[in-house]
Amino acid sequence: MSNKPVNHAKAAEHFLEDAPHLQFHDERLWDMRQKRDAQMHILPEWQELREEASRIKEHTLSRLPEYLEQFETNAKKNGIHVHWARDGAEHNRIVGEILKAHNARNLIKSKSMVTEECDMRPYLAKQGVTVTETDLGERIQQLDDQLPSHIVVPAVHKLTADVAKIFAKDYHTDPNIRDPHLLAEAQRQAARPVILHADAGMTGGNFVVAETGTFVVCTNEGNADLSATVPNLHIATIGIERLVPRMADMGVFIRLLSRSALGSPITQYTTHFRGPQKGGEMHVVLVDNGRSARLGMEDFWTSLKCIRCGACMNTCPVYRRSGGLSYGAVYSGPIGAIIDPTFNERKYSTLPYASTLNGSCTNVCPVKINIHEQLYKWRRVLVQHHEMPFVKREIMHMAGKLMGQPKMYRAAIKATEVSLSTMPRFVLYNWLNPWGKHRENPHPVKQTFNDWYRKNRETAKPAAAPETKK
Amino acid sequence: MTAARDEILQALRNNRPTPENHPLPPVATLGDLDASRERFITSLKILGGDVLEPVEGETLDQAILRRHPDAKVICSNVPEAKGTLPVEKVKTPQDAATIDVTVVRSPFGIAEMGSIFLSEAELPINSFAHLGQHIVVLLSVDQLTANMHTAYQERPEFKTANYGVLMSGPSATADIQGVLIRGAQGVRSLSVWFT
Amino acid sequence: MKIGLFIPCYIDAFYPDAGIATLELLEKLGQDVEYPLDQTCCGQPMGNSGCNSDAAAAEALFVRNFAKYDKIVMPSGSCTHHVRDNFDAIPQTDEVRHVRENTYELVEFLHDILKVDAFPWAEFNHTVGLHNSCGTLRALRTASMSELGEKPFSKPMDLLSKVKGIRFATPRRPDECCGFGGTFSVTEEAVSARMGVDKVRDHHQAGAEYIVSADSSCIMHQQGCAERAGVPIRFIHIAQILNGAAQ
Repeated sequence: MSNKPVNHAKAAEHFLEDAPHLQFHDERLWDMRQKRDAQMHILPEWQELREEASRIKEHTLSRLPEYLEQFETNAKKNGIHVHWARDGAEHNRIVGEILKAHNARNLIKSKSMVTEECDMRPYLAKQGVTVTETDLGERIQQLDDQLPSHIVVPAVHKLTADVAKIFAKDYHTDPNIRDPHLLAEAQRQAARPVILHADAGMTGGNFVVAETGTFVVCTNEGNADLSATVPNLHIATIGIERLVPRMADMGVFIRLLSRSALGSPITQYTTHFRGPQKGGEMHVVLVDNGRSARLGMEDFWTSLKCIRCGACMNTCPVYRRSGGLSYGAVYSGPIGAIIDPTFNERKYSTLPYASTLNGSCTNVCPVKINIHEQLYKWRRVLVQHHEMPFVKREIMHMAGKLMGQPKMYRAAIKATEVSLSTMPRFVLYNWLNPWGKHRENPHPVKQTFNDWYRKNRETAKPAAAPETKK
Repeated sequence: MTAARDEILQALRNNRPTPENHPLPPVATLGDLDASRERFITSLKILGGDVLEPVEGETLDQAILRRHPDAKVICSNVPEAKGTLPVEKVKTPQDAATIDVTVVRSPFGIAEMGSIFLSEAELPINSFAHLGQHIVVLLSVDQLTANMHTAYQERPEFKTANYGVLMSGPSATADIQGVLIRGAQGVRSLSVWFT
Repeated sequence: MKIGLFIPCYIDAFYPDAGIATLELLEKLGQDVEYPLDQTCCGQPMGNSGCNSDAAAAEALFVRNFAKYDKIVMPSGSCTHHVRDNFDAIPQTDEVRHVRENTYELVEFLHDILKVDAFPWAEFNHTVGLHNSCGTLRALRTASMSELGEKPFSKPMDLLSKVKGIRFATPRRPDECCGFGGTFSVTEEAVSARMGVDKVRDHHQAGAEYIVSADSSCIMHQQGCAERAGVPIRFIHIAQILNGAAQ
């Protein structure tokens, strides 16, 4: 995999060129944000719920080893096979071995961000296993060979016509279909036989309850239930941070999750798996893949509280105008920008800069992750680790020096005024000057405030500060 | 695999924040504690479910046919409805996939969400709840709990069932251009029949 | 109470009228205000881009300029946010702490400290759309935030409401970021400019003749976007209206 820093700005620029897609994307996600707000207004206890969720998660993370062991003990008692994977490769190997032991060739699965992290589908394909995504959005992305662009609505960057084109190729439907109902029906009809003849089913897990050895899966399509109950073999891949201590804690999280995500009170299906079905076999693979290391990062460990609702994406004005794929990572948007650098600091070094630090993400986060503050802190870390382009680093270095020397600074201001008033437009607006590409420059003024003050308030002149020592 | 397990747990022990700084808050019971039928119905309808209201003198079988006039295969796992396909004949998901209307009883509902609960205790096979085209759920009005907090605290099923699903209306998706579609992969409709 | 006035670099260079209005307004309100001549910048651009150590010289100079004042006032939310919340490139001496704890954005200073209840000299017969910068809104909390569902309040609106003749227009997305974001405006110029255009169109469609803000950096960006896209809307700093702008 390439280690080159993701060029978010360039990908975003490309996304912005397509007006219909851009407009739909922005409006659709803003609508989800509005619906989330409406749900918040219905519940006077909203802020209490957020606080509660945050505290439960922080508590759990501080005792994660104990709760994982408790979960393992209980799950085993219930007849679940529990596996541990240090990284994506180990996870894939475990899943591959389970499937091989059952001679399973056809795997149906519901959406799971962890399997995306592990890049599982290509691995299993090489083992001769056909993987079929059963979530509609995820299936669209699978057929189009793209990462999910949003953790809740994976194909939100596509319009009906795009889906019609993709389905025409794989499902032989009419490429001119413009009614989403017909396309959703085509997916249902195509998926049913695959589901009915699958050898194994796979799900993720939104929550894991230590007290009972249960994992909870939330979907709207019911595809996780189909994937888990139709085949006799059910494998669940779950990140180790997904624990909550008590079943009673689920009340807090279920009340927050879908309201924050889509603005609906609850997902249509909230399913609790505590053991295999009659005659079936159930496996849980607990995946670390960098999480235990993240827990040790003082400024960033609380990102592990994330319940993957996507509210930060919906509210993010940058995400809405750049699309999830522009982040070039499994996790996009604000939460992606603080998680992705823990996977690969160089490759994702640009993502904490794909933000205006406006802070809306932090305010909508149901588990109160201080996302925008972590973005700010990541920038410091990346600069310290030399993960900032040299030119940009040098500009800041020179600017910093200049700002410490009032006399040189004054001279520089003068030069700026001169350039703004005398330079021809084509010089100011060339590619070296990104400000002017889609914006006019500020207007030159006759005199700076500083000059005005010297002329008009000289009598009040305070003692000058000493020049910075070099 | 114990190497992986031990390594992960050790790393977590080394890296975790100080546990004493993060006490577990007591279990929360917040929000509206109204457990009424009216609240349940309002919530159910928001999520796309509906109530099957009996017409004077009508049996449940008749009501189901009124709601689903084209249904050929009706399979009931409750004594209140006969259906057309004896539930004993449903042994595999392939059998369940032929059903037009599935009839089951839910042990409880949640007023806040309009959710009904189903587990292996109510289902001949777990996929029975999902493979039929439509589902009719019997629910006793005195088995309503107010909200998610009370549900998780009061209902023992969450700790005993191997498979327990809260269904809140039918299967749904809005994955294509944000258009809400009921009946994505699971049931196309969900109706509640109060008893 | 002796007040030190800080005029951020972009106001000094591009919006001196906003600086003059700030000074005159404080003087009209009977305040003892000084503007240290050798000031440059608060260090925010370096801090925000992660180059925190490069902010040290600016921060040190800032402290040298302002440590002697009881209160430091600036017509900029984002600079206030930097001084108050992120000003740590230099050792945190008593002087530094004094400066950080006594720095105020103009609106909060007028509203919370001076508790100004009238601007008898001010009249503004226009419909304005208020732009709360993310610095004033989500860091300084001078207004309620739509994401939190809190009881609505707005310190800038409280002040503007005391101006004769003024009318307000409410955009569809009142507290969406305008996309300036400091260096973001250049490193992510395409997204930044798009956000800016969307913002000014939102205000224009709501019927605003002016966009008024406590942050000139947002104004500079939005004005550039509006002019390029041909959105007929004007821009003004809140200090100018409160000081009695005759526009």
